[in-house]
Amino acid sequence: MERVDANLINEVNKLGKGGWNECFHCGTCTATCALTDEGLIFPRLSYNYLQMGLKDSLASSVEPWLCYYCGNCSEKCPRDANPAETMMILRRYLTSVYDWTGLSRKFYTSHWWELIAVLVIGLSMVLLLGVFNPNGIVTELNSEGGVKINEMFPVHWVHIGDWIMAAAIGGLLISNVIRMWYLVIYKDKTVRVPISAYFTSFKAVSEAAVYFATQKRFSKCDDKKYWAAHWVLMSGYVSLFTMIVLFLPWFQTERIHAWYHPQRLLGYYATFALFYGLFFFLIGRIRKQREIFKHSHLTDWFFVVMLFLTTLSGILLHIFRINGMPSEAYYSYIIHIAVLVPMLVIEVPFSKWAHLAYRPLAKYFSELKKSAPRQMSTHG
Amino acid sequence: MFKSSGAVLVYEDSNLTPIPMVTVMFDNNTEEVAPEGSPFQTNTLVIGGGIAGIQASLEIANAGHKVYLVEKTGTIGGYMATFDKTFPTLDCAACILTPKMVEVGQNPNIKLLTCSEVTSIDGTSGDYHVKILVKARYVNLATCIGCGTCAEKCPVRVQSEFDAATTMRKAVYIPFPQAVPNKYLIDSEHCTYLQAKKCGVCAKVCPVPDCINYQEQDEELEITVGNIIISTGFKPFDAARDDRFGYGKFPNVVTSLEFERVVNASGPSGGNIFLRTQDKKGNWIFQPEGTKPESIAIIHCIGSRDEHFNKYCSKVCCMYSLKLAHLVVEKLPDAKVYEYFIDIRAFGKGYEEFYKRIEQEGVHLIRGRTAKVEQKNDKLVLRSEDIEGGKIIAQEVDMVILAVGLEPRSDAEHLANMAGISRGDDGWFKELNYVTDSTGTSQQGILIAGFCQGPKDIPDTVVQASAAASRVLRNILKSSGETV
Repeated sequence: MERVDANLINEVNKLGKGGWNECFHCGTCTATCALTDEGLIFPRLSYNYLQMGLKDSLASSVEPWLCYYCGNCSEKCPRDANPAETMMILRRYLTSVYDWTGLSRKFYTSHWWELIAVLVIGLSMVLLLGVFNPNGIVTELNSEGGVKINEMFPVHWVHIGDWIMAAAIGGLLISNVIRMWYLVIYKDKTVRVPISAYFTSFKAVSEAAVYFATQKRFSKCDDKKYWAAHWVLMSGYVSLFTMIVLFLPWFQTERIHAWYHPQRLLGYYATFALFYGLFFFLIGRIRKQREIFKHSHLTDWFFVVMLFLTTLSGILLHIFRINGMPSEAYYSYIIHIAVLVPMLVIEVPFSKWAHLAYRPLAKYFSELKKSAPRQMSTHG
Repeated sequence: MFKSSGAVLVYEDSNLTPIPMVTVMFDNNTEEVAPEGSPFQTNTLVIGGGIAGIQASLEIANAGHKVYLVEKTGTIGGYMATFDKTFPTLDCAACILTPKMVEVGQNPNIKLLTCSEVTSIDGTSGDYHVKILVKARYVNLATCIGCGTCAEKCPVRVQSEFDAATTMRKAVYIPFPQAVPNKYLIDSEHCTYLQAKKCGVCAKVCPVPDCINYQEQDEELEITVGNIIISTGFKPFDAARDDRFGYGKFPNVVTSLEFERVVNASGPSGGNIFLRTQDKKGNWIFQPEGTKPESIAIIHCIGSRDEHFNKYCSKVCCMYSLKLAHLVVEKLPDAKVYEYFIDIRAFGKGYEEFYKRIEQEGVHLIRGRTAKVEQKNDKLVLRSEDIEGGKIIAQEVDMVILAVGLEPRSDAEHLANMAGISRGDDGWFKELNYVTDSTGTSQQGILIAGFCQGPKDIPDTVVQASAAASRVLRNILKSSGETV
């Protein structure tokens, strides 16, 4: 028997404005959705949890992660209850529920917390690279006329920093993922997933992997443009992240490779991909014509602006480096790191970007639950 | 007090008297005059000849007072005349309505003005000056014998308004066989003679000399009345406005009003339920012979309870949908019937029982509104959430009935301005007090009755019409100095 939490609605209200009071459960949203399928009824069922204060059911539900915000349900909703935005708000809510540190909730509900966290991490990067860095600006150029970037910021030290950051982010994200598993699978008494299922359910694993790489589900939404723009943005982000964290010595070089060298081509592609995706979403959010862009939370803007600054400083750094502009390259490098690090540290474990883990896992967990024997019906 | 019971007797007896073939209008000379020294007129104007207008007119006329009943179309009867059955008693709608229509036609106290519209209302309570445009009928109401020869020979085919466009009528026509007045009229918009001076067959074949007169002109009539009852009703929601359900795109997505005619014995297929098929000219029509659908789905709340269209509940659709489901079960016992609803609103006497009865008849009642209808080969596929079953369903059926909501008539605003009364946010005429005075308006002597005041079913409409009539009679009695 689940206890009703009268305060649930107030908690969710702080994360955005949805229409939970409006919904009269006609099911139009669910039947309009191209992604809802057997056994995973959304968005309507989430309204049931919200209206009835079923906190545990909501925390163990994966449905919000399966929605990609095409907005059709909000357009068709006869009550203007805005189910698509409600799904978005519930993704914020679930992110904050999975996060055991409580920081996620702080960042989502308080502008000051988010701003101060960004400033503290950013300024410590400035101090680390600009003030405590013994090397300073090296004005001398190398034989090819490029900036001696590795003398200013030795690549092995930066690489160690990368690893520390990646470990911190990964550790936090994994701990949140464990909590997600605890809430979604362990605490849901209606279904018992046997341990063996985690290994034998090849279909669930492979599907989750495919979704992670392609966001195939997103492409099932009626308008493929959004999926395409998101995928391009993601591909740029993932390739840069991989190069920085795993192959920094190969990526941060003083040598100026020929333009067709994979290092440069990959960098240019990633920059293009990030700018393309960013402008697509930025213009959309400013115009607000489509449902997906109508409601922007402050954290959405934060992320867009910071990713834009990171990309811009990154490509400028490259331009300054190959054109032999040492001080410009030096400052770009510092700005680049001072924006990139707080963005990753805040967004990945605590905020919007946590979805890169939660979305495929939600699909994986739901497949596991589907295949497991049911104790009793969850639908009321 | 006891004098009025005599009027009730007349009311009952009048069913038995035959329909006179000549005009039933009252002579202007017999019009009542206001008592001396009082400006109060005892004549009443009733606008709209549906069941509300009919009921109110009969109540007043049978109490001995004169009524002008103004009706826009060629016959009284309104939408009720087009229905097959009424819920929850499953009375034949025509059987209970047409005697009343006939009575209106016969009652010497009622001056029936069909093809007429009110064009202005001036004055105050007790002394309203009303202008009425009586449009040319082109057929002499006094001499037409209703033989139908004109329509037989007329070459022009037009979609029948009465049959909700499921059948064709001629340009000279009688709206339906039991129309009151039971006389033909010419549809000037479609008559080729009136449009282009071509044809003229109907005048040639008419057995009554000078009965058909193409030169007839519209007339303006000015009358003075003491009270006005507005009973203009509603218009059905245009199902094509909500494009998710494929109305107008898929031939076997039909509106409830079309289906009322399909199941009716005087409808396009003699009361047999057939699928809509294409005729030789490519028009999608119901034909007298055809294929019976094996499954029918009824979707509730089309255009109602929806922020994009009408926010309010149209009140009658749940019950008429259940009634239509029953009629399908009755006529096609082997067919599967599905109803997709948000809530079932069975709000009146005997209604819940009716709902349970339909459920027991084997109709599948599914909580969850359909989100879209698509065509796949010969089948229509409905996508809905089965809320109680916790699943998504894609139901294949042969025919879909859209339970369209009802909304204020397009000319409601114009009429409200003329009468000086207001309308609510939803467009219905505003009553003086929703709870205690639902027939009164902000203008004394102007009353509202029936659907034009707000969604209600036929029994409620009749009650409100009687209430409006009693208010009129009270006003008349008060003004004449009699004690009420």
